[in-house]
Amino acid sequence: MNRGVAYYILGRFLQSVMVLWIIVTLLFLLFRLAPSNPLASYIDTTFTKQQEAALLARFGLDKPLGEQYIIYLVNLLKLDLGDTFSYSGKTVLDILGADLPNTIYLTLTSLLLAYAVGVLGGIVMAAMRGSAFERIGTTFTLMTRAAPQFWVGMLLLTFFAFQWKLLPSSGIGPPMVRYRWETEWDKLMSPVFWRHMILPTFTLALYLHGLPLLLMRSNMLEVLDQDYVTMSRLAGYSEWRVMIQTAARNAMLPVLTALTLGIGYSIGGNVVIEHVFSWPGLGRTLVRAVQQADYPLAQGAFFLIAVIIVFMNFIADILYSLLDPRVGASAQAQVS
Amino acid sequence: MSRKLVSIALLALMMLALALPVTSQTMGEMVPPIIVHSVTQAERPIEYETTRLVVENMRELGLEVEHRAIPWAQLIDEIWYSRTVDSAAADRPFQMTHWRMVGRPERSDPDEFTYNLFHSSVRDGGYNFIGYNNPAYDALAEAQRVEVGDREARLDIICEAQQIIRNDMVNAYFIHPLTPQVVNTAVFNPDSITTQAGIGVHNFWTWIGIEPTAEEGKTLITSTTSFLNSFNPLEIAGDAPSRVTEMTWDRLMRINPIGVPEPWAAESVVWEDPLNVVVTLRAGMKWHDGEDVQSDDAAYSFEAALAGTMQTKEGEERFQPEAPDYYPFASNVANIEIIDDLSLRFTLNTPSAAFETSSLAKLNLIPKHIWEPIINDLLTQDDADVDSIQEEIPIGSGPFKYVAFDVNEFVFLEAFDDHWARPQIDAWIMNVLPNQEATLGQIQAGEMNFLWEWPGDPGVLQNIVEENEHLDLFSAISIGFNYFAFNVRYAPFDDVTFRQAVAHTIPQEFIIDNIFNGLAAPADSFVSAALEYWRQCEDLPTYDFSIEGARALLEGAGYSWDDEGRLHYPGN
Repeated sequence: MNRGVAYYILGRFLQSVMVLWIIVTLLFLLFRLAPSNPLASYIDTTFTKQQEAALLARFGLDKPLGEQYIIYLVNLLKLDLGDTFSYSGKTVLDILGADLPNTIYLTLTSLLLAYAVGVLGGIVMAAMRGSAFERIGTTFTLMTRAAPQFWVGMLLLTFFAFQWKLLPSSGIGPPMVRYRWETEWDKLMSPVFWRHMILPTFTLALYLHGLPLLLMRSNMLEVLDQDYVTMSRLAGYSEWRVMIQTAARNAMLPVLTALTLGIGYSIGGNVVIEHVFSWPGLGRTLVRAVQQADYPLAQGAFFLIAVIIVFMNFIADILYSLLDPRVGASAQAQVS
Repeated sequence: MSRKLVSIALLALMMLALALPVTSQTMGEMVPPIIVHSVTQAERPIEYETTRLVVENMRELGLEVEHRAIPWAQLIDEIWYSRTVDSAAADRPFQMTHWRMVGRPERSDPDEFTYNLFHSSVRDGGYNFIGYNNPAYDALAEAQRVEVGDREARLDIICEAQQIIRNDMVNAYFIHPLTPQVVNTAVFNPDSITTQAGIGVHNFWTWIGIEPTAEEGKTLITSTTSFLNSFNPLEIAGDAPSRVTEMTWDRLMRINPIGVPEPWAAESVVWEDPLNVVVTLRAGMKWHDGEDVQSDDAAYSFEAALAGTMQTKEGEERFQPEAPDYYPFASNVANIEIIDDLSLRFTLNTPSAAFETSSLAKLNLIPKHIWEPIINDLLTQDDADVDSIQEEIPIGSGPFKYVAFDVNEFVFLEAFDDHWARPQIDAWIMNVLPNQEATLGQIQAGEMNFLWEWPGDPGVLQNIVEENEHLDLFSAISIGFNYFAFNVRYAPFDDVTFRQAVAHTIPQEFIIDNIFNGLAAPADSFVSAALEYWRQCEDLPTYDFSIEGARALLEGAGYSWDDEGRLHYPGN
């Protein structure tokens, strides 16, 4: 790695840290300035001023805003996201730590499925340009991209779970099976878990496959006009080999970048799917935390999502600098 | 000349006569715009629609009314924390809001609502957020508490209290919801389902009595839209967790299906005098970990609720209980004396008619061998109380025991074989299912066999029951009620006539038939029609829906309308 690239990566890293700091500050302020009260779920006929004071003190909400902010930042540096307001004896990390793997399994499986279908579909559609198949395929893809996820999810639920009773409708497994899973590995080895994942994965993949498919298709069309493709054809290679080995490999680079960014955005963007399928992931907890004005939990969830997005952006930047020498060179020009 | 003079004098007199009513009834200031709060349509559509309807009717009285629908967490700021001009968290104190109280077994005794909703001592920080202050009422609320021996005398007091509140119209009650539940009667015997007065069929008695008629029925599967938060016998963590804790931890008494406390873990409860009660436990009871349940456990269950330390906050020294949720229910206990392994004597500070309902039938029995070390440890810490405790597998002595739970997803209980009232079913499962449509799908598809709660349109449930032969709808009048609360501290709601006029704008029947699809009962008091004993009173005043009636009432009190039809206060 040359010096330019190293400087470039260091610069990007510092930039990422700055972005995270700004996000953290905004999160802190947003929740405290928002017009909702964290004690809402405690109000009861027997609720007294004494209880109220005790709760505020326990949550640290009786301290001045500035002091709360400093405590928050210091704790973050220690990776202490605090205690939740609404769950007894649990820290934010406990709750999010249990949610994050479920969200990652769902997201990665859906992305893999979506990108596999998307890339292959894009190649086929480029190859069959102008055919009825391409027209129908593109329309279908645009429809799934535009259809609200909750609607697609509910349709699939209605037919596959409730009408035909082929697949389970919610959660990650029935409690009678689930309580035997002691580790993540037990969960991943259980066919029950994967069966529960089919409907949410399919719904998410239906939505996600549009981007790689359309991107791949247009890149392919562009690449197919290039001289080196024509050369390959003239060299007598089969059409299949020209498509896959020559054209697709070149057309795939932007798709890979989209995938890297997609991982980040999808992890934070599963709120709707997780709600519809009662999937115990980050998005569902986030909605719940905001509804209950559980500041630490909501902040923690947003923070985690922000870290993942910023980190994946950072990875995408590094990939760029490694794949495209011009990025490192321009960075070196700037620093020298 | 004289005739002319007489004519002029007559004319002048006539004009004077015509002018008199005008001058004697000068118009007061215009009634300022009013804001009526409710939760949002998305959160609770029924409450939103009701409020919208009433707001429209209030406009017919010549009022400028805004309907402000905001999420519950925000509503707390604008109502609960905005009672007075000085303490308002919002930009001004609230005026009128839709509100509701939910039914819980311990609310079967009228004490909680009679005292906590209206006594002037809980005006600033407690549930009397409307600011009602009536010494005559306070005296009644206090008197019903100490009327221990004579139930009929207490009934008279409760009736008088209801009369006062209805006359003063500080809260405009309009419905008690009928809580709808759907049960899969292909797998359960419908005759084994118990309806508890004011609660519905999803109650403790159903859980232990419901008989499976098919293999699938041996596991009762239900769901909740809210997260389960925690299972802690010393914490009240919301509706669903409370219903679970009452199955897994026994209590000395329980509220029976008709709403009266009866001995449960106690074999007998004997009052020696209004301050002393001797409780004897059933012999042979076990904790879920196999240890014996004894009188020192029962005593410790109350001692734990009373435990706490004196702490100094902002120069003020005050008592900080370790179990703040349960402390109020135990605080009347002055002393507990252990008589033998199974008997103990409670001595109270003051006589309390509600002690059986709100203490003996409320506090969970907890094993001393588990909780004493926990509480002792908490007593050494300033900033932690029982809310920070969650046992990995909680231990109680109730008819159900915990197998596993995940607060975000499910709780899985099994029948406790060593219990003297072992349930008919083998397992009880509650899943967290925030998606209402999925709830409907699951009950129809058989994935779930007991629909516990339904915050949506009750008409939807009636439809699915008609379409599915294996489903039956159960409903019962709730102890809870929906109402409009007025901030009686400030004009215009400080005027009883104005409040009564607003009460006339609530179309009770229309709301029941159209918004609740018939799944509600008319309400006129804070004591539900479900609590038949406490409703044996003379008829309470009625406020029929009538805009004309409301206008006549206002007119009679000197209110008037300007040329544009806007309502003005009485003059002078």
